[in-house]
Formats: sequence, C-alpha cells, structure tokens
Amino acid sequence: MSTLEILAVMIIVVVLLIWRISWLANRVHRATARAERAWSALDAALVGRAQRAAELVMRPGIDPATALLVRDAAAAALVPDLCRGERERAESDLSHLLDTVDPMIPANSSELASERARASICRRLHNDAVATALSLRRRYTVRILRLAGRTTEPRPFEMAESICTLTAGPPDSPPSSPACVAPAVYPAGPRAPAVGEAGQPS
Amino acid sequence: MPVPYNGSVARVNFGPLSAARVRRWLRNGRFDLIHIHEPITPSISLLALLAAEQPVVATFHTATPRSRSMRLASDVLRAAIEKIDAGVAVSESARNVVVQHLGRDAVVIPNGIRFDDFARRPIAGSPRSSERSRLVFIGRLDEPRKGLEVLLAAVPQIRQARPNLEVIAAGQGSRPLPSWCRSLGTIDDEAKIALLGSADIYVAPHLARESFGIVLLEAMASGVQIVASNLPSFVDLLGAPQDDRRLGEVFPVGDHRALSRAVLQVLQHPNPLRATRARQAARSYDWSRVGRNVLAVYRAALSTAPTGRMGSGLG
Repeated sequence: MSTLEILAVMIIVVVLLIWRISWLANRVHRATARAERAWSALDAALVGRAQRAAELVMRPGIDPATALLVRDAAAAALVPDLCRGERERAESDLSHLLDTVDPMIPANSSELASERARASICRRLHNDAVATALSLRRRYTVRILRLAGRTTEPRPFEMAESICTLTAGPPDSPPSSPACVAPAVYPAGPRAPAVGEAGQPS
Repeated sequence: MPVPYNGSVARVNFGPLSAARVRRWLRNGRFDLIHIHEPITPSISLLALLAAEQPVVATFHTATPRSRSMRLASDVLRAAIEKIDAGVAVSESARNVVVQHLGRDAVVIPNGIRFDDFARRPIAGSPRSSERSRLVFIGRLDEPRKGLEVLLAAVPQIRQARPNLEVIAAGQGSRPLPSWCRSLGTIDDEAKIALLGSADIYVAPHLARESFGIVLLEAMASGVQIVASNLPSFVDLLGAPQDDRRLGEVFPVGDHRALSRAVLQVLQHPNPLRATRARQAARSYDWSRVGRNVLAVYRAALSTAPTGRMGSGLG
C-alpha cells in the first residue's frame, strides 16, 4: 500500500470513530437531560401530593388527630432544600401515613388518589430515566473520554409508595392493608444493571 | 410479509418504503406525542420509534422474553429504546420482560374493559343438574396457544357427569369440531357481551404467552364462573389456586383432566359470591380508571421530553 492509501484508510477510520463517539456523546447528553427533567416532574408531583393531602385534611369532618398527623407529615415533605436522603424519608413517611389514614378521609379521596398515582408514575419514569443515563455514563468509552462532561450524575429516588394507588392490588387484599405497600426497592437499580447490560461493549 | 411471532402470525410492513412513509406521516402530523405499541418488534412501530422526534410513550404487551427482536445485539436498537420517554406495560409479567431484557422500566397500566357493558347481567346463578349449563370459550379456534384442544379433550369427561353441558366456542378460524360443540365464528362486542352474559362458565385454557387476559376480565365483569389455566397473567388476576379468596378455578396448563375436574367442581358447587367478587375486581379495570392513568403518563412524558410542552392539549 502506498502512503497515500494508508493515509486515506486512516482518515476514514478516524472519521468513523469521531462519528460514533459523537453519536454516543449525544445519547449520554440526551439521557442525562431527560433524567434532570424527570426529576423536575417528580419534584412537582411530590409537592402536589403533599399539598393536596394537607389541603384535604383541612376540610370539615376530618378527625383532628388525623388532620394534625397528615399536616405535619406533609409539612415535613414540603420543607425546601432537603437533601436527597431526608426528602426520601419524609416522602416515605407521608406515603405510609396516607396508607393508614386513607379510609378516614372519605370525601375527595379520589383527588388524593390521582395525585398519588401521578407521583408514583413520575417516580417510576424518573428512576427509569436515571437508570438509562447511568448505564450509558458507566460505559467504558464514556468514562475514558469523559463524554458526560461536568454534568452531575443523576440518582434514583427511593421511597415507599402504595401500589394500590395505581393498579388494582391483588384481588384478595383489602385496600390499604399493609400488604399493599410496595417495597421501596427499584427492580432495575443502577447498581445492578439489567441482564445483558453487564458485558456490553461500547 | 407474514412473520411468525409469539405463536401467532402477524403481517409486517418493514422496509425502506414503509420507513419513508412513516417518517413523512410523523413530520406532517405535527403530533405532540406519539404512543407506540410493541415498539421493538420489526414493524411500523419500530419504524415510528426510529423516526420519532416528538415525545414517545410505548406500551409493551408481550410477556415472552424469547423473541428474536428482543435481543439487543445492535447498539442502534439500544439507542432506539433510549428514545422512549415513558414505558407502559400491560401487566407485571410484561413489565418484568422490559426490565430484564431491555434494561428499562415501565409503569404498569392494564388494558381497559368497558365494565358497565359487561356488568349488566345478574351474577351467574346456580345451575342444577337437570338444567342445561353453558360453557363458553372465546379465542381463535385454529391457534394452538389459545388451548381449545385442551378444552375439547376435557369435555367428554365432563359430559359423562353432565350430559346437558352446552359448549360454545366463539372466535376466528375454522377447524373440525365435535357435534356437542357449537361454533359461533367471529363475534362482535355486542354478541360477546350477550354470550358471556348467558354463560355459566367461561374457560380460558390458554397454553402460553398470554400477557394479559382481556377476555378473562370481561368474563369476570360478566359475573360468570371462571376456570383458567395457570399462566402467570391469569394467576395474577384470579389469585393462587390455594387461596380461599381466589376469583376463579385455576388448573395446570395443558392438563385436560385437571380442567375437567375444575369444571365439574364449579358445576357442582357454583359460587355466586366468588363471581361477585370477581366482578368487583374487574371494575378497577374500567377505562375510566385506566384512561386516567394513561393520561398521567402522557403528561409525565410531555414534561420529561426535550420540547417540554408540558400538558399541552391534555387539559
């Protein structure tokens, strides 16, 4: 091969490599940005849930002790600038409390139920977006070439929630029994990549 | 071109021509959001996913991990899956497939039924041995996985004890049927409502790969007694066989002797209370409730998608 041919082949290889790397970088960027937006959506949904709960127990006919408990828990979840761990704990506490008091808030509990369903949906989508972003960011190429730039690594949001709010529970369990409280474990957590993900060449 | 997939045959449009057409259609439509079903089967769905520039919601129906299209050999397919803003799975088992094989997650939103249409009839009463009892099968007659074969093998044994048992099969396809089995052919929704309303027992003898039993739910809403094979999605709906509060009888997949025992059990000891509970359970799958959750997913997808047109057009 002449020098010219070698040069041409090298140029082609380099162009292909750059194209592929920029494609990957674009995916990393897109996934990270989506995880951030998903967090805003989840944040808004959680705030909506806490506010709606606090608002509902102010209505007449609610047992004062229940109202006090729910208002306190909602206020704890609404404290601004909580760190992630504190926020997770406060929101979980609110979930548990709402499971317990749900039958005692007869009026408008469907409003609360839809807020809870919204929070639950947003949380799952958020954690899904985070898992996607993390699995991309942990790729060898991405780490070596620092394709993620200086963006902060997204983190899943773990909290207890009732699955009854979203889907029908198992037919034999009465609503809002402890059996309805879903474990706060996210099945496809970022620390345990899904099958087929581990040996992924990048 | 016909492609065998998941035990049934689907006609597939897949190629550069279809791709261009889908791309053009998505461009011209100026959609705020697109909702794709089974996005990673080689079909219009995958073409739409690849071409989509707007937020994408994708519904996963299949509970079968072993389909070739699901092997994520190619990075292109992986990138396509990353484009999904919000995944929906029709059942927990369908969600498991998404989690394990696609590395994504999905919100479980079951398929909906028109509950009120099916719940018009009173709960199936208690048939006495002198009366006729009516057993219904609904599903493609010529598709092995729907399990009509198992039912046909079980009926002779049932008819020894219950000569008056009437067996009605409704569904697409044709196949030779024994004289005691009446076939209605393809039926529309009204006929289905009437058929389930007139039945004593609905049998779902499916052999495999049923991610979600929509007809089973409709039968539950109709208040008939239910006998179903123990596919995970059916057990999810009905409860485990040992459970006292189960909503129907469950038998091992493909076991026609167990099926005939279960049907006889139901005929001898009809349980209107159980049918009532089954109807109550089916109520939560009404479109009014299911639709609300789908809308919540749309809103979430719109707010996480790059364009950020939050809640546009969704009130």
